[in-house]
Amino acid sequence: MNNRKLLYSLSGYLFVLPYLTLFGIFLVLPLFYGLGLSFFRWELASLVPPKFVGLHNYSEALTSPYFLKALWATFRFVVMAVPLTVGSALVVAVWINTVPLKRQYYYRAAYFLPVMISISVAGLLWRWFYNSEFGLFNAYLSLIGLKVPWITDVRLAMKSIVLMTIWWTMGGAMVILLAGLQQIPDHYYEAASIDGANARQRFFYITLPLLRPVLLFVIVMNIIGSFQVFGQTWMITRGGPELSTRVLVQYIYETAFTHYRMGYASAMSWLLFLVIMIFSIIQFRILREKQ
Amino acid sequence: MSNHTKTILFKHSSKKSPLSGGVWKLVIELVIAIGAILMLLPVVFIFITAFKPDSEIIHFYSILPRHWTLENFREILENPAEVPIFRWFGNSVFISFMVTALILLVDSLSAYALARLNLPGKRIVFALIIATLMVPGQVLLVPVYLILNWLHWLDTPLALIIPAGAGAFGVFLLHQFFLGIPRELEDAAAIDGCSRFGIYRHIVLPLSKPALATLGIFVFIGSWNDFLGPLVFLDSVDKYTLPVGIALFQTSYAAEFGLTFAACVIATLPVLIVFMIFQKHIIKGISLTGLKE
Repeated sequence: MNNRKLLYSLSGYLFVLPYLTLFGIFLVLPLFYGLGLSFFRWELASLVPPKFVGLHNYSEALTSPYFLKALWATFRFVVMAVPLTVGSALVVAVWINTVPLKRQYYYRAAYFLPVMISISVAGLLWRWFYNSEFGLFNAYLSLIGLKVPWITDVRLAMKSIVLMTIWWTMGGAMVILLAGLQQIPDHYYEAASIDGANARQRFFYITLPLLRPVLLFVIVMNIIGSFQVFGQTWMITRGGPELSTRVLVQYIYETAFTHYRMGYASAMSWLLFLVIMIFSIIQFRILREKQ
Repeated sequence: MSNHTKTILFKHSSKKSPLSGGVWKLVIELVIAIGAILMLLPVVFIFITAFKPDSEIIHFYSILPRHWTLENFREILENPAEVPIFRWFGNSVFISFMVTALILLVDSLSAYALARLNLPGKRIVFALIIATLMVPGQVLLVPVYLILNWLHWLDTPLALIIPAGAGAFGVFLLHQFFLGIPRELEDAAAIDGCSRFGIYRHIVLPLSKPALATLGIFVFIGSWNDFLGPLVFLDSVDKYTLPVGIALFQTSYAAEFGLTFAACVIATLPVLIVFMIFQKHIIKGISLTGLKE
């Protein structure tokens, strides 16, 4: 009797089996396969068999000027894009929340629309905007005698990528924050107004603390996403000028699929994974502590 | 908060703002409206520019074309062999639908079992699945490529469909939703002799439509816009999805600006139509992902 019961319970795993099969083959296996690969020297295109090299790939990456440059470019992107995207999304969400519901609906859709545009379309469009000879921006700026090297100047290129990224991704963060704002009960604000709190105080003492879990989610997701930036730089600058916008994922992609250095590429992607993990943990710590 | 800071706060707040609340509201809405227009303008430019002859794109005179032309569209539509844009479109639709169907099926089955059935050790299994939520996709890129190569799935739609089913996000989302469904209904059905699969099929699934729609929309958009996956796993131009196909215009047709914008219009128009119809559901679906914790 007991055995039959146990068997019946275990047969419930049939429901989980299809997912667990996929999970095992395409998530758990590649995760460890990738980690294993990172300790091997393996050029897919050559006939030389894979060779165990220990931590050599990692030490090569950490001393390679190309890897460090790509890491630095990624950092620069994250440090600029995350606060600007989440910050502007927060401002827009708070302001849209004050508009009457009927019109709110249209504004929300307008800000969200760019999220739906595919990266290749968005990338081609902004490449044309930024083109220094016949781009849209410089066509107008030339009217006041300006010519901005949007994506041809080493110091400016990443900032231009960030500007485009804000346009492209801000709506996604905004609608999540707006939904979070609308969960805050009105009577909190009413009570605060009666106590004489002004708009700024209401924002800092009611909105922000109550929005913290949603804000934390948005920030962490944004950081994780931003560390993996690829489409924008690939489409708009291809990593140029002078590799100033070649981010880690592009470098990993080129190492693996143009140079076929699978072990080295795996090691670099694990380093990126490590960086993302450290940043997420720090984020959670900082935002938790304030509670 | 100390008494000192409290007095400062209230002193500050007692200062009357020179403008009344109503005017401020109007100013804020005006800023929001201008911002909304700025967000939409780039999309509008795609559509307008597609009707310009190349010469007007290269030498910018005005936003609106001086000579409206359909030449760019004609050129694309007449060269399906060179620019198989409808083929890419079909591939994208097929792959995104299959990914969505696969994920909804396997994720709901496993989430139901993990949330509801009395499985020995299910906590450990669920914890294991959830732990992978943090794994960024790029870590899996090289090993999954090698596994797909070994399976001979590279350069086929399978390469983009099957591995997509491994993600933990849907299991997590549906699991949390299923936990919130009252048990009484299921218990009643069980007493009436309904099997576990019957309960899943006839009670849990119909009650979970909002959660399934949220996940479906989320997955579909993600798959539709996926760029790195098809770039790495697909080789032949006629097997491309729309995003990687359109990206060819950056290299192969770099000088053909009119053609590029016409292709962008063809790629974007269906998305815009779908967005306008399902706007409410899409935004709701995306915004709920931040609240379900």
